[in-house]
This record gives sequence, C-alpha cells and structure tokens, in this order.
Amino acid sequence: MMKGHLWVAAALFCLGGLIYWGSYELPTGGGYAQVGPGVVPRIVAGFMLLVGALLLREAFTGGFRGLDEAEERGRGMDWAAFAWIGAGLVAYGLLIERLGFVLSSAVLFAMVARGMASRRWALNLAIGLVLAIAIFAIFNYGLGLTLPAGVLKPLLA
Amino acid sequence: MDAWAQLMQGFQVALSLQNLLWCLVGCMLGTAVGVLPGVGPAVTVALLLPITTKVDASGALIMFAGIYYGAMYGGSTTSILLKTPGESATIVTAMEGNEMAKRGRAGPALATAAIGSFVAGTLATVGLTFLSPLVVQLGLKFGPPEFFALMVLAFTTVSAVLGSSTLRGLASLSLGLAIGLVGIDNQTGQARFAFGTPQLLDGIEVVTVAVGLFAVGETLYFASKLRATEERVEAIRGSIWMRVDDWRRSIGPWIRGTFIGFPFGTIPAGGAEIPTFLSYAVEKKLSKHPDEFGQGAIEGVAGPEAANNAASTGTMVPLLTLGLPTSATAAILLSAFQQYGLQPGPLLFEANAALVWGLIASFYVGNVMLLVLNLPLVGLWVKLLRIPRPQLYAGILVFATMGVYGMRQSAFDVFLLYAIGLLGFVMTRYGFPAGPVIVGMILGPLAEEQLRRSLAISEGSWSVFATRPISAGLLAVTAIVLLLPLVLRALRRRTSKA
Repeated sequence: MMKGHLWVAAALFCLGGLIYWGSYELPTGGGYAQVGPGVVPRIVAGFMLLVGALLLREAFTGGFRGLDEAEERGRGMDWAAFAWIGAGLVAYGLLIERLGFVLSSAVLFAMVARGMASRRWALNLAIGLVLAIAIFAIFNYGLGLTLPAGVLKPLLA
Repeated sequence: MDAWAQLMQGFQVALSLQNLLWCLVGCMLGTAVGVLPGVGPAVTVALLLPITTKVDASGALIMFAGIYYGAMYGGSTTSILLKTPGESATIVTAMEGNEMAKRGRAGPALATAAIGSFVAGTLATVGLTFLSPLVVQLGLKFGPPEFFALMVLAFTTVSAVLGSSTLRGLASLSLGLAIGLVGIDNQTGQARFAFGTPQLLDGIEVVTVAVGLFAVGETLYFASKLRATEERVEAIRGSIWMRVDDWRRSIGPWIRGTFIGFPFGTIPAGGAEIPTFLSYAVEKKLSKHPDEFGQGAIEGVAGPEAANNAASTGTMVPLLTLGLPTSATAAILLSAFQQYGLQPGPLLFEANAALVWGLIASFYVGNVMLLVLNLPLVGLWVKLLRIPRPQLYAGILVFATMGVYGMRQSAFDVFLLYAIGLLGFVMTRYGFPAGPVIVGMILGPLAEEQLRRSLAISEGSWSVFATRPISAGLLAVTAIVLLLPLVLRALRRRTSKA
C-alpha cells in the first residue's frame, strides 16, 4: 500500500462526493429539455466517484498500475526548490497591484532562478528586469494588453 | 472541383501580406517553443489567446495553427540533440535520433526529420483539403444525439488510449469536466459551483488551467528533481546535409509514416504518439539492416517524424469539420475560435468558408516556411538549448504569470494559477496526464449542450442515444475502447492459469 497513492485517490473520491453534494441545490428538471442545470453535475460527480473508487482499490492493492514508484523515489525531492518557486508566485500575486508588472516580474524571476540553484541574485534580478521591460513594451504598446505600470509609472508612461 | 476552387480562394486569404506575417510569426514561435523544454504549443497558444481581441480571426488562427504544427518541427531538434523528448510524440525520435547524434550524424538526423516533417505536413494538408468536405457532408447529417455520442467517444479515446493508465486518464478527464462546470450555466443562467465568488461566475479560464498544469506544474516538478537530472546537448558535427544513401533510405519511411500518421490524427483517437511507435515498428520490420535500429538508423527517425507531423495535421480534420478537439492544443485552438464567437463544425465551412479555407491554405505556406526555418537555420534554434535552465524556467514563469494576470487584471487568478500548478505537480508526480483535463474542460460544456438538446428533442427520453443508429454505434465503439483491454486481460489471466 502506498500512502501517497491513497491520498490522491481519496482526494479525487472526496471531490466527487463534494460535487454531488453541491449539485443538490441545482434543479434537475424544468424548461423544454426536461434537463435542468443539475443533471450533468450529477453525472460528472458519479463518474468521478467511480474513478476515485477504482483508484482507491488500486492504491490498496499495491499502488497505481504502470507507475515506476521506485524510480520516482530514487530521484528524490528538492523541497527547497519547490518552496522558492511557490514563494515567487505568491510574492507576484501580492506585489503585482502595488509595485506593478516590471518589478514584481523581476522578483519572480530571481526567486524562481534561486529555486533552481542559481545564486547570482544581482544578475538574475537584472535579467528579470530587462525581460519584464521588453514584455511590457511589446504587450502594452504593441498589442494593447494593459499591464499595470505600478510605481514605475512616471518612467514607463 | 469544389474543394479545389475553395482552396484557391483560401490562398488569396493566406497569401495576403498580413497573413503571411502572422503565419511566419506562428511558425517561428512554434519552432522556438518546440525546441525549448518546459514550454509547449498548448501553453503558448493559451498565453496568446488575449490577442484575439486585437487581431482579426484569420490572422490569429493562422498564427495559432502555425505554433501548433511548428512545435512538431522544433520538438525533433530537441529530441535529437538532447534526448529529452519535448513531447510524447517525439519519444521515438529521442531514442533513435540521439543515437545518430552521438555517432556524429546529428546533421542528417535533423535533415531527415525536417524534410520528413515537410513531406508529411504537406501530404497531410492535401489529405485535409480533400477529406474535410466529405466529413462536412457527413457532419451536416448529424443531430445533437450523434454529436453527443461523438464527443463521448472523443473523451474516452483521449483519456484511455494515451498515457500509462486508462484509469488515471479518466481521472484527469473527470477533473477537466468538473472544471468545465464552474460558472454560469449558459442555458438557464443558473450559477454553478461559484461559491459566491464573483471571479468564479465567469468560469475558470482555460489559460489559467493550461498554463498552471503545463508551465507551473512542470516547472515545480522539474525544479524539485533537478539534482537528479543530467543533460547533455550533442553538438552538430560535420555536414548537416544528407548523403545520397540517406535520401534513398529516408523517402520510403517519410511516405509510409505519413500514411500511418494521418488516419490516426483524423479519427478521434487523439494524439500523435501511437503512430510514431507504429511507424518505428514498421520501418524496423521492412529494413534491410534491422540490427542498426537502436543504434542510430536513419529510417527510425524519418518514419516517426513524418508520422507525428501527419497526425498533428490530421487532428485538424475532426477539429475543423466536427468541432472535436483530440489533443490539448487542439482544444485550446477550439477556444480560440470561440473567442471570435465561431464554433468549428460543419456549419463553419458554409458560414465562414473564406476563414476556414484561408487557414487550410496557410498550412501549405507554413510547411514551406518551417522547412526553411528548420534546415538552413537550425543552428539558430540550437542556441536556445544553451540557455541555462534556471533562467529559462524563470523566464517561462514570467511569461506565464503575465498571460494569466493580463487576461483580466486579477491577482486572484495568479493565486489560482499557483493552486492549479500544485495540482499539476501532484498529477505529474503520480502519472496523471494533463491533456484530458484541457479537453474535458473545453469539450465538456459543449457535450452538455448537445446532451440537453438531444433530450429536448426526445422529450426527456434517454433512449434517443440507443435508437439512432449512428449514435448507438459510436457509443458501442466507446464501450469497446473502455472494456476491451479489461476483457483481454481477464482472458489472458484465465489462459495462463489453465
């Protein structure tokens, strides 16, 4: 029995249950079609419950089929890299409306690069800055997509 | 001949200066993202969806299609020189082509891949040109029950046939279908699964899901396994041109690969992966030197590369004529059509003939451009492989967040992107394919519409799917696809016990 497999299968099964429960407030009848907005969610939920149950059975009986678990474990897991990249994305989400596109992108760039073991902060920040300014120029002036200028507004506008 | 006249009109659209430029941009972007690891055509098209508000439909769709088939060309370069298949459809090339490169024959390997892709892409476009009107004729006879049955078949084959496990493919599909439910039901206006969140009322954008699963999820996975990854880019030594002998050994595999790949692309079996393996097996069987296979036989690159290009062009047949996407990228192309209020399918060929035929004509043009881009200019793309991984992935994420945030200027979407990225990480870790999620979320709402229309016609009776012969037949095929492997396995177990 593989713990990870069990969690994943259980999560899918529970999600199916939640969708079924959520579809209860949706009407199943009415209209010309006799098929209200609640019918298809129930079908999807039932399908997910079925797939989840079959996955649970696989997890209990030796783990998911056709997956090389030993090879996967042998390659290890670098949680620091994982955390740096996640932190970069969260920082981006928090900063984008305050600092604007260019600066938050540079921060994201440097944090992702750090996650992948590049410790040259100054260089990475500089590359990120140049890349972000180039994207800003192309998309804002060329394609008319509005990206927030943020604190650099006086410089970029 | 009707198709011929239509095609000529299509060329008038495709050969306008503006559309030639869009085609070139698409082919260049496609080659670039095909070459680069960590970013593929699905993410690229998804990120560029916002330009649909600024660019006219034919220009944007010509560019998106260019990205789609251009990535097939670029992908072979990476497989040959790096042995990391950029896409599952280039796994075979990665084995055989990389062996050639190690033996100093990278040049001919790249050349036979590029020319083979060109031959296959062009022949498959001819197939698309003449097959499409026939499928359209068939499609015009389809009612909602037939379309619904066809979509169910596509769901099944896309999830069940690809990947290492049918069950995990179906699990991915169920997630995609669930994501497709979120938002306002377009027939009754009822909000579903929005949890009172205004951001969820409009539904979850395909951009966020595609970019989250493919770009963020991939980056998280690759970064967390970086210490255990070894990469070596083979240099191109010697001439990139093929010798007379190489030509002689390549022509057969190109043609055969095309004829194996194209039918696979056109039936809703999805993907270009299976035909590459088939083509490889066929070439090995036909070869006078089967011992060379596994050690850099040029036929083993020529055939599969032709097969995957023919298959990817083939997927345009169900997409354009029936509105049926059979791969993640095709599904995103479908949502690009929807951005313009267009629905691919038989009616599109009547209502927007100039657009459709312009798009088809652009495939001929694009394949010529790609041949030039990938053969004499291959050295340019190889430089992309030298970008250090940390900066490459950091750059990919800058583009990813830009696309997702820029779509509706919402920081909520950035956090949603991270959440979907985490989901993508878990899925990659446990071997769940991402493609069925995308196909499910885009095709799901369309299938629901056809289902409800069918039941409106039948006044609520579900028997309508069983009594109409075409839909009953399609559903029977679906059942066979799902159940046949189980039956075979049970039979084998019984015989091995006896």
